[in-house]
Amino acid sequence: MLRIKYLATRLVLAIPTFLAVLTLVFFVIRVIPGDPATAALGDYASKEAVEAMRERMGLNAPLYVQYFKFLGDLLQGDLGKSLITGKSINEQVKEVLPYTLELTLSAVLVGAVIGIPTGIYTAVKRNSPADYLGRVLSLAGLSVPAFYLGILIMLLFALKLDLFPAVGGGDLTDWKDNLSHLFLPSLTLGLIMTASVTRLTRSAMLNVLQEDYVRTARSKGLEERVTILRHALRAALVPIVSIIGIWTANLIADSVLTETVFARPGLGKMLVGAILQRDYTALQSVMVVYTGFIVIVNLATDLLYSIVDPRISH
Amino acid sequence: MLSKKTTLIVIVLLAVLALIAAQCGSATPQTVTVVETVTVIETVEVVKEVEGKTVTVVETVEVVKEVEKEVVVTATPEPKEKVVLRYADKAADLGTMDPHFAAATNDRNLADMIFNGLLRYKPGDGSEIEPDLAEAMPEQEIVDGKQVWTFHLRRGVLCHPSDEVPAYELTSEDVVYSLQKSANPDRSAYAGEYDGMTVEAVDPYTVKITLDNPISPVLFFPKVSDYAGGFIVCKKAIEAMGDEGFKTHPVGTGPFMFESYSAQDKVMLTANENYFRGRPQLDGVEYRYMPELNSRELGLLSGELDVINGAAEGVWVERMNQKEGIRVDVYGVGEVATIHFNTSVEPLDNKLVRQAIAYALDRDEFLALFGEPVAANVYSQVPAQFLAGGLTKKEVDDLGLEYALDRDKAKALLAEAGYPDGFSLKMISSERESYLKNYQSMQAQLAEVGIDIEIEVVDHSSMHKLIRQDVNPIVIYVAWRPNADVYLTRFYHADSIVVTATKPDTNFSHYTGIDDLIEAARIELDADKQVEMWKQAQIQLLDEMISYPLQYQNQVTARNINVDFGHELKSVLALYPQITENTRITK
Amino acid sequence: MSQIQAQSPVVHPVRLRSQRQRMWHTFLSNRPAIVGLVLVIIVILAAVFADNWFIALPRGEDPTPLITTFDPLKQDARNRLAEPDAEHIMGLDSYGRDTWARILYGARVSLAVGLGSVLLGGVLGTFVGTLAGYIGGKTENIIMRAVDVLMAFPSLIMGLMVLAVLGAGLSKMILAIGIVLSPTFARVAHGATLTIKENDFVNAAIAVGANRMRILRVHILPNILGELIVLGSIWTATAIRVEANLSFIGLGVSPPTPAWGSMIRDGTQHLGYAPWVSIFPGVAILITVLGFNLLGDGLRDVLDPRLQQ
Repeated sequence: MLRIKYLATRLVLAIPTFLAVLTLVFFVIRVIPGDPATAALGDYASKEAVEAMRERMGLNAPLYVQYFKFLGDLLQGDLGKSLITGKSINEQVKEVLPYTLELTLSAVLVGAVIGIPTGIYTAVKRNSPADYLGRVLSLAGLSVPAFYLGILIMLLFALKLDLFPAVGGGDLTDWKDNLSHLFLPSLTLGLIMTASVTRLTRSAMLNVLQEDYVRTARSKGLEERVTILRHALRAALVPIVSIIGIWTANLIADSVLTETVFARPGLGKMLVGAILQRDYTALQSVMVVYTGFIVIVNLATDLLYSIVDPRISH
Repeated sequence: MLSKKTTLIVIVLLAVLALIAAQCGSATPQTVTVVETVTVIETVEVVKEVEGKTVTVVETVEVVKEVEKEVVVTATPEPKEKVVLRYADKAADLGTMDPHFAAATNDRNLADMIFNGLLRYKPGDGSEIEPDLAEAMPEQEIVDGKQVWTFHLRRGVLCHPSDEVPAYELTSEDVVYSLQKSANPDRSAYAGEYDGMTVEAVDPYTVKITLDNPISPVLFFPKVSDYAGGFIVCKKAIEAMGDEGFKTHPVGTGPFMFESYSAQDKVMLTANENYFRGRPQLDGVEYRYMPELNSRELGLLSGELDVINGAAEGVWVERMNQKEGIRVDVYGVGEVATIHFNTSVEPLDNKLVRQAIAYALDRDEFLALFGEPVAANVYSQVPAQFLAGGLTKKEVDDLGLEYALDRDKAKALLAEAGYPDGFSLKMISSERESYLKNYQSMQAQLAEVGIDIEIEVVDHSSMHKLIRQDVNPIVIYVAWRPNADVYLTRFYHADSIVVTATKPDTNFSHYTGIDDLIEAARIELDADKQVEMWKQAQIQLLDEMISYPLQYQNQVTARNINVDFGHELKSVLALYPQITENTRITK
Repeated sequence: MSQIQAQSPVVHPVRLRSQRQRMWHTFLSNRPAIVGLVLVIIVILAAVFADNWFIALPRGEDPTPLITTFDPLKQDARNRLAEPDAEHIMGLDSYGRDTWARILYGARVSLAVGLGSVLLGGVLGTFVGTLAGYIGGKTENIIMRAVDVLMAFPSLIMGLMVLAVLGAGLSKMILAIGIVLSPTFARVAHGATLTIKENDFVNAAIAVGANRMRILRVHILPNILGELIVLGSIWTATAIRVEANLSFIGLGVSPPTPAWGSMIRDGTQHLGYAPWVSIFPGVAILITVLGFNLLGDGLRDVLDPRLQQ
């Protein structure tokens, strides 16, 4: 009951967050020099043509009119049309979202599945050669920019070993094709995340392993595995969940580079494209979708806090 | 230990996953000959009896034919594997598919596949114009001091079918509608080109174009060719879906028809079975948006792509050509990079300072950043290599206007102008290599004579906006313009001065000294005299050092050796290798 | 009040000389931390001694390179992308500039970006996050929702927007990345504070009515500091990487300033035939990231009160 009430409160509280994000984006994008009419027409266009285009795009209307029209359309579930290509953004999001979700989830999976056990292992075996190796490798993962790692992975797996296709998102209706296209990008993104998760897990585990109750448990002669699993890991889960939550949210953005390098469709690429093209409607609308995603991830993270650590109440 | 086990399980899981994914990834392509039945529309002469008389009538009938075809199939063969050309462009996304707004190279490329003009540049060779939708080159006559051009249209040209409108024959009604759209500033980015032009339909297959002021064919033909405003759209389709709808669902008469578009990913085109020059040899074109060079390169090398935009780098061209099964085409037209000096601001308002800069610059140093055969030096504002009216190195040399590198002279001129210690300038550059390389090289070279340049890099769209607001004392601009008149008018005519002019355009130098020559040349019907005037105008520009022409940058495309464009790439006006009905993938 | 406090069972981390010695000892016995420290010192030395800029030069005189004999800005386009040889030990880049010289100078830029933005974001974020976590109630909600708003912007998008509004440049880049990082710090600090807050010693302090700021400073901050330092050392790497990512989109530091991220980006264009252009700056980033993180781990061990017992 309490949890449902908490959920409801949080969802209501998310509305101002939404509004704040949208308002911020709406005005900030208009402050940036450059405008969609010039971007759409290219350098060959005359000033009259640019002016005519601005008028058609509705950019000459007063700001508040544009703002409320955007909010009004949004309330009706209409995200509008791209100022540049004229394509419906609802349609675009629908096309792109599956690619983004599958990439994000699989990357988080790679990150958690490799990162958490490695983190636990290096914490338990602190200062052993395995610990040093694990730490240096995870730091190597942290220092490589995503685009560089992506290209290297592509060179190795797609060109030298010829195991996976190099570019494209694959056909969504053909799961085999889709999966084979998903592998390399999620590996790229997952490896970067792994580095972070490993380090955080190790650090959190080290903290907990020093706690009195863990020491007591250990000294009581409880089997090591039970100690680690039941007591230590459980307590260490809060920061781990937190970092995974943050990464899930962040991955979408980091995925821009992965998507570009592997030429996959995706929400991140849409966002950057909209900023560079000054496609005001596209940027506003994709931010709506993205913010929704973040709100859900944050909520899930907070709920997970209270599940993994009952002491945290809401 | 628990963690060991977990790690092991994870590794095994990943390995299994990798295997599964790898399984579905690769499949060996094979060539198989299949017999396909196709329906073709053919014009036949039929002998009929009408009211007792025997007459010969020309009719179009549907004929079912069996065609033998070589098809590449993968391990899981589908009954009809389509031959689709996979093209990767360096653009990040589509701009527009309305040909009258298409400005970016990638948009023009698509327009060229979907639409036709009355005339067209010969595929692969922009120096020749031939009839396209017109049956023959038009005749001109002067009526009441006005110039009248008459076009006779081909018969049996069909507009692509769409959801709203089925396929129908293109007539003069469509041509008139289309050219009027091009002339309307609300519906076209090229309206200015059609000022003083009246288009009328004489009969369903005859179109008359009247120009208030006669101009030479060199200037007239581009307006009605397969470039920019000259593309002919299908009236019924655009009226049915509206201009907005048309942008994402173009309907024309070209060899390929629009099928689908997914944002920042690709546009799919299918073969137009009824194309008037015959059914295309390809079944379709997959036009992908891939801004990252490495991805395009790897995609081509791994066989996932057939044609890609390459890097404007001599080294890259050389290296790719060494790869098995890959060919790189380097072709014109080259886009010309020019340094424009804003003559209205200090210290560039001083001719001596501009000349000092010119003497401090070394064209070959700029050129080395691009390398042969991708780029070559140009010595006048209009590139002599491509267009009538340009000046060659020898001509410039003979006139003493080459401004060959001489840094001592540059320093002396600076001292004479009152800047013995040089000065500082601040400017912005686009993030694109074709700009950034030139800006950065200029920065390093001018540092040698004490001129300190600070560069801020902005994205390409911001740069276009900002330089038109006159923020740069020195603007480097890289552009192709179809003829000398457009080059000179847009960059050096008083009416084109940025910000302040009535029709602000790209006159970044604020120069007004050659207006008379430009205008006189525009209406000169004698080609030799016209060229002479254009040259004279540029001699003046060089003498006063209004702008410093750098180099032209050629187009670079790499392709799988199995791709045959169907024509030789000599110089393509719109900067891409055209994909026509003759383009094919051989095996 | 003071009487009650004297009786309270709160453990104050008393700063004794012996404790400081113990901390120093903990640090010195941590071999990876020593390696980290050495790496960081090397990078800092490279940055400082790239040229004699740190000595006050007479007016109008340019600094001259110290460690290398090459000017990082001097172009030689005709020999661009030359292989590493005895003269240019790391080869030439795409403008014909010496890669080794650019890496040395690039240390300045990358250190400034990495440390500056983490410091900015860390201080800002930690303050807000701990405050919210500690105060609780409505204030917490409002603050954390504001953090959500900022978090809703993906790091790259946020960086892109800040840079697009402010214009490019080193200081703006630091500001942009600092703003990008602050909500992350806030969230982690907030989460950690929540956990610590439930501990008995904090409850006890609250029960005896200790001053809020004092509880924050004395009880909560030291306990979450370890985690924040680890986070900070990780984000230093992230910041250096974000610089690289921004330059991938074309909005790195202004040319011709050498920055490692931009150098990698530049080299990526020539990966196939001139790998040295991107590999060497990559190694430089790796060394720096490794150094800071190992050092961060060592510091964490020293600062964590529980590890000292």
